[in-house]
Amino acid sequence: MHEFSVTKSLVDLCNQEAVRNDMKEVRIINLKVGRFTGFSPDSIRFYFEHLKTNTRCATASIVFEEVPIKIKCCDCHKHSTIDEPILLCPYCGSNAIDLISGREFSVASIEGE
Amino acid sequence: MKKIRILKPVLVSNQQRARENRGVFDRMNSLVINIIASPGAGKTSFIKYLVNVMKKTCKILVVEGDIKGQIDSKSISRLGVDVIQINTATECHLDAFMTAQVLPKIKKNYDLILVENIGNLVCPAEFEIGEDFKLAILSTPEGDDKPLKYPLLFHLAKVIVINKRDLLPYVDFRPDEAIKNIQKENPKAVIFEVSAKTGEGFEEVFRYIHKELNARKKKSKR
Ligand SMILES: Nc1nc2c(ncn2[C@@H]2O[C@H](COP(=O)(O)OP(=O)(O)OP(=O)(O)O)[C@@H](O)[C@H]2O)c(=O)[nH]1
Ligand SMILES: [Mg+2]
Ligand SMILES: [Zn+2]
Repeated sequence: MHEFSVTKSLVDLCNQEAVRNDMKEVRIINLKVGRFTGFSPDSIRFYFEHLKTNTRCATASIVFEEVPIKIKCCDCHKHSTIDEPILLCPYCGSNAIDLISGREFSVASIEGE
Repeated sequence: MKKIRILKPVLVSNQQRARENRGVFDRMNSLVINIIASPGAGKTSFIKYLVNVMKKTCKILVVEGDIKGQIDSKSISRLGVDVIQINTATECHLDAFMTAQVLPKIKKNYDLILVENIGNLVCPAEFEIGEDFKLAILSTPEGDDKPLKYPLLFHLAKVIVINKRDLLPYVDFRPDEAIKNIQKENPKAVIFEVSAKTGEGFEEVFRYIHKELNARKKKSKR
């Protein structure tokens, strides 16, 4: 659904960065996607194939790095990694939680010539 | 091959634009609420109920986001408040750029700007528009498990309204369970239970929004 506009932003950002860094051809985009976002790698890949044409990313592929959901409990102060975005401390059940990671959706780096 | 570190959010330009919108709204002293819910949850009905009472004491603008058509904006403008329509055509959410397009059409200072986002629990959550806060509506026929199935919205929304309370006798919706599920995503959520049909529960909503409006006025005087 919203992956179309999101992928458009991705291509725009990588293209701009390629121009700025004098990279003629981007081969790999290293993309971090947190597990606590609504973005589906499959749909991003799908739209990417269309949107990358006529940009410096035309021959690029995306390498997804999934970022786990990490939380810190404000009550028992323990850190944990959770599979589902249900923000409860697995140790003490508290819902006073700080979200440490999982909301990332960012370009870590680009590789190319 | 060379490798260049970027470390930028993909939605960086939307975030920047949202901050600029925020600046414009700040200068107008407007409290901006981004209202998000699934289709038919009662966004328009909630806005209409609110507007009908609050228009007596404050200047309200409603921004209607729809994929297509003007049904909702027409029914709201009949209440005698200003409405601006955004048609997104293909997009399933409003973003900061679409919101920026309405800024030149805002001709006076409003105390309260209510933005009805596209009916969808997933996409609108990811895109900031320059709002003060997100308000999510969950209606009783949708089920009390929705906060767990669409965690991001319920995590990000400062205010969560459970609507269609009048239908509780007919649907399998357990309010306690819904509230427990919301608090698993968002322990600080401000939760209201209302019916946009009977008006039940709206007193507290009015009181809350008035409090927010006053807080905003104080902030701008500083
Ligand atoms: N019984 C009952 N019906 C309601 C309530 N709130 C809204 N409705 C009805 O639910 C239907 C959908 O309400 P809308 O306000 O149009 O919902 P919406 O979220 O704006 O819908 P879209 O803009 O199409 O996504 C309408 O028939 C409303 O009359 C309520 O509290 N109780
Ligand atoms: Mg509506
Ligand atoms: Zn704990």
